[in-house]
Amino acid sequence: MDGFLASPIGILAITVAQTLALLVPVLIAVAYLTLAERKVLAAMQLRRGPNVVGPFGLLQPFADALKMLMKETIIPSGANRVLFILAPMLLFMLAMIAWAVIPVQDGWAIADINVGILYLFAVSSLGVYGIIIAGWASNSKYAFLGALRSAAQMVSYEVSIGFVIVTVLLCVGSLNLSDVVRAQERVWFFIPLFPMFIIFFISALAETNRAPFDLPEGESELVAGFFVEYSSMSFALFFLGEYANMILMSALTTILFLGGWYPPVHVVPFTWIPGFVWFALKIALLLFVFIWVRATFPRYRYDQLMRLGWKVFLPFSLVWLVLTAAVLKLTGWLPA
Amino acid sequence: MSWTLALPELVLACSGLVLLLAGVIPKQETFFPITMGAIGALLVTAVLVLGQGEGTALGGHYVADAFSGFMKILALGAAALGLLLSIDFNEKEGLGRFEFPVLVLFASLGAMVMISANDLMALYLGLELLSLPLYVIAAFNRDNARSSEAGLKYFVLGALASGLLLYGTTLVYGFAGTTNFDRLADAFSAAQGVSAGVIVGVVFVIAGLAFKVSAVPFHMWTPDVYEGAPTPVTAYFASAPKVAAIALLTRVLLGPFGDLAAQWQQVILLISFGSMILGSFAAIGQINLKRLMAYSSIGHVGYALMGLAVGSDTGLRGLLFYMAIYVFMNVGAFAVLVAMRRQGRAVEQVEDLAGLARTDLGMALWMAAFMFSMAGIPPLAGFFSKLYVFLAAVQGGFWTLAVVGVLTSVVSAYYYLRVVKVMFFDQPAGALDRAPASLTIVMAGTGLFTLLFGLFPAPLLAAAQAAAAALLG
Amino acid sequence: MIAALAFYLFAAILIASAVMVVTARNPVHSVLFLILAFFNAAALFLIAGAEFLAMTLVIVYVGAVAVLFLFVVMMLDIDFARLREGFQRYAPVGAVIGGILFLELLLVVGSWSFADQAEDLRLAPITGDVTNAQALGRVIYTDYVYLFQTAGLILLVAMIGAIVLTHRQRPGTRRQNIAAQVNRSGSVLLEKVPSGAGIATLGIRRPPEPEAEKPKVTHEAGHGHGGHH
Repeated sequence: MDGFLASPIGILAITVAQTLALLVPVLIAVAYLTLAERKVLAAMQLRRGPNVVGPFGLLQPFADALKMLMKETIIPSGANRVLFILAPMLLFMLAMIAWAVIPVQDGWAIADINVGILYLFAVSSLGVYGIIIAGWASNSKYAFLGALRSAAQMVSYEVSIGFVIVTVLLCVGSLNLSDVVRAQERVWFFIPLFPMFIIFFISALAETNRAPFDLPEGESELVAGFFVEYSSMSFALFFLGEYANMILMSALTTILFLGGWYPPVHVVPFTWIPGFVWFALKIALLLFVFIWVRATFPRYRYDQLMRLGWKVFLPFSLVWLVLTAAVLKLTGWLPA
Repeated sequence: MSWTLALPELVLACSGLVLLLAGVIPKQETFFPITMGAIGALLVTAVLVLGQGEGTALGGHYVADAFSGFMKILALGAAALGLLLSIDFNEKEGLGRFEFPVLVLFASLGAMVMISANDLMALYLGLELLSLPLYVIAAFNRDNARSSEAGLKYFVLGALASGLLLYGTTLVYGFAGTTNFDRLADAFSAAQGVSAGVIVGVVFVIAGLAFKVSAVPFHMWTPDVYEGAPTPVTAYFASAPKVAAIALLTRVLLGPFGDLAAQWQQVILLISFGSMILGSFAAIGQINLKRLMAYSSIGHVGYALMGLAVGSDTGLRGLLFYMAIYVFMNVGAFAVLVAMRRQGRAVEQVEDLAGLARTDLGMALWMAAFMFSMAGIPPLAGFFSKLYVFLAAVQGGFWTLAVVGVLTSVVSAYYYLRVVKVMFFDQPAGALDRAPASLTIVMAGTGLFTLLFGLFPAPLLAAAQAAAAALLG
Repeated sequence: MIAALAFYLFAAILIASAVMVVTARNPVHSVLFLILAFFNAAALFLIAGAEFLAMTLVIVYVGAVAVLFLFVVMMLDIDFARLREGFQRYAPVGAVIGGILFLELLLVVGSWSFADQAEDLRLAPITGDVTNAQALGRVIYTDYVYLFQTAGLILLVAMIGAIVLTHRQRPGTRRQNIAAQVNRSGSVLLEKVPSGAGIATLGIRRPPEPEAEKPKVTHEAGHGHGGHH
């Protein structure tokens, strides 16, 4: 048995099993996140939300999925067929492959690579391609406008995300995600780096095109933005990709600022609960905030969005980065 | 860490950043004070260069010696004069934006990095730091199609030249495993010879640098860019970047590739021949003064490179001496070009100078002095500069080079003297506007230098001698 | 063996996609092939053990630079027929120059040798016990600080240049003063309302309807998230 596990095929089998063990829960979480969003929004708007399919509407996601599957796939006659079909797949795939480096518990990452944080940053910066290709391949002005908006928006906010990540890395001294979490064993980074935590979270909203930065969809002016021409399963892939990205960004925030798999305090009742449960709980909390923000804030105007990214976040995160570096250097807390 | 050796560069870089901030923050336009600040920073840096020690620093990427000091002061002086020329012109043409002096300042920093480069990577970075601001200021008059064209053309061809240069450096690095000049010199001095790849690499490096000094056959961009760019920018193009690129070419060829002299000497010889011949013949038909000056500068680069082709101590001294005098007379001539305005509009044709002697004798006399000097008429400064390179060529046994040099000088005298003839003997084409004080000062200063240099050539000669000795020593 | 296979696979795709960048008819496809080429180059870096460079390549070139390329190419309506005209005319000259360069390259490769001290002179070899991000970090601000900072200045100059050449202050534009807007007082009234109570029962003041004959139909709550479904 040991021999088989060490052989190339064995390694492949283990990796596939690990991947399934991670992605199946993620996909289920995506499905229920759609339901949770509608339920939470309904509660905040004093409605009931979906409550017909199954008890408390719990089967609603499956009903939605079935509906999507049954619908006709429409490809506009002027569209670039290959790219049109490729775009949603790309978006969904990117949301999935990023999970390869996420450590859900100490040592529980499929690939615990040295440059995990850069890998995540790279993958999240690729998400823009799915959108921009979808907008262009649709050959529709609304879709194209949405795509252009999202390209500008995501590139702008990546800059401040990058600086936030660098600040965290300064405090950790490693690019490995597990090391990032381990560095927070005593104090979670959102306490010393609170402003960066806020900037990161807001930038994550912009990066996932969520309200109040959902201008690429802008249903009131762009009818639905970049995916206006999509229907059926290709639309469903966009939909799943967006929610998977939300979960991913929440996981990243958890790793960077909320101590990953660690319990809030290392005392007995908390330490009984396994790490991945803490990890999931923190993600759930952040997802709730995602939805809460959506229910609370109106959409930004485009120039305000750009101003916030370039004139507020970028200088602020730069200053905070220099400040952090100075403090670490002067106090000798700089990790070796 | 011996970073204090690079103090002039650090001061210049920091003052550039400070000036940038000082220009951005106030609400109103700050062109004039920032320009003055930039000139001040350049002068302070020049003083620091004078007091600079010698040696290598910063991980062996930076070298300071008498040669670098000589060339840096030339480049800084040329930049300061160029900025002085730009004050009045830019304000009249609506180009008075504070980014201009800041860009010129960073370009000068690039020139200093190039001159002090002791590593192929530092060489490339200096070259880019010099070139990038040049592309921008060539297109500074962005609403003018010719200026935009000049910027774009310069950018595209400059990028190509950088590509050639980089390709050459990779070949050299691949052979020697290092980019440091001292180590490269060791590697090439080894007995067993070098592979053909290195020769190809050296040729590519020469091609990339020849583009920057606009030597034939990499000169094609020069007339169009010189003509399209705003005149003070052209004045700057024709001086500081050339000084830096010539300095770099000299250091690279005589330093790390010194043992490959047999390989690159023919290339430099060809470049020198081509530049001299093209510079003198192509300028004859020009009616636009800026194009004329462009071809003239190609020719002058040819003469200067003659000194490098000879490769000897005297040749190098001649080259340094030539560049120093060329910078001054060139800036002076461009001061006249910048001052040429009729009823507030800038003019730049040769015939616009017609009868200048009768309307503005002072300017006509200065211009005549610069033209005579460029033609190499004794006893003006330009005569001495040519004399020393020709002498070096003769001493080194390069008779053909010297003969071609003399002959092309005679040909080029034709178009320089034509300008003088137009100024003094043609019917006036209407008076030009009075030159502003800043330009008159530049004209007078460089003009006096050109006229009286023959009386006191010793200090400059001694400095050039010392610089040449530092490089060859 | 697997590494070698992967190398040839990625290298082959890299070259193929580089060829496609030049030959693709549609400029958008060209940029997409360029991105594919970047990815394969990153993969080659990974195989060589340079994971930091690989990720940086993807982040910088694919994540930022190529997005802007794509952005611009999609916005411009490039007429390729007209571009090709000039291309055809200069093709022979280009082919000759390319051919000469290729011959030179062959010559170079054919007679290649290393200097005898080349092995020892290799710059900053990475020792086994550090990750390559650490190894880079150790030299960038020490041995290579001069080059690193100069490169930074070049980028600064590029930024100044882009702003100088494109930024225009249009007269008559009205800017939003967000601070003043947020600080304004008197025009906004915040009231604590019990949840579940209707507007009418609370007696909240509303602005008078401008057009009384066209009463606006108030949309049902929750309309906002209809965009997805």
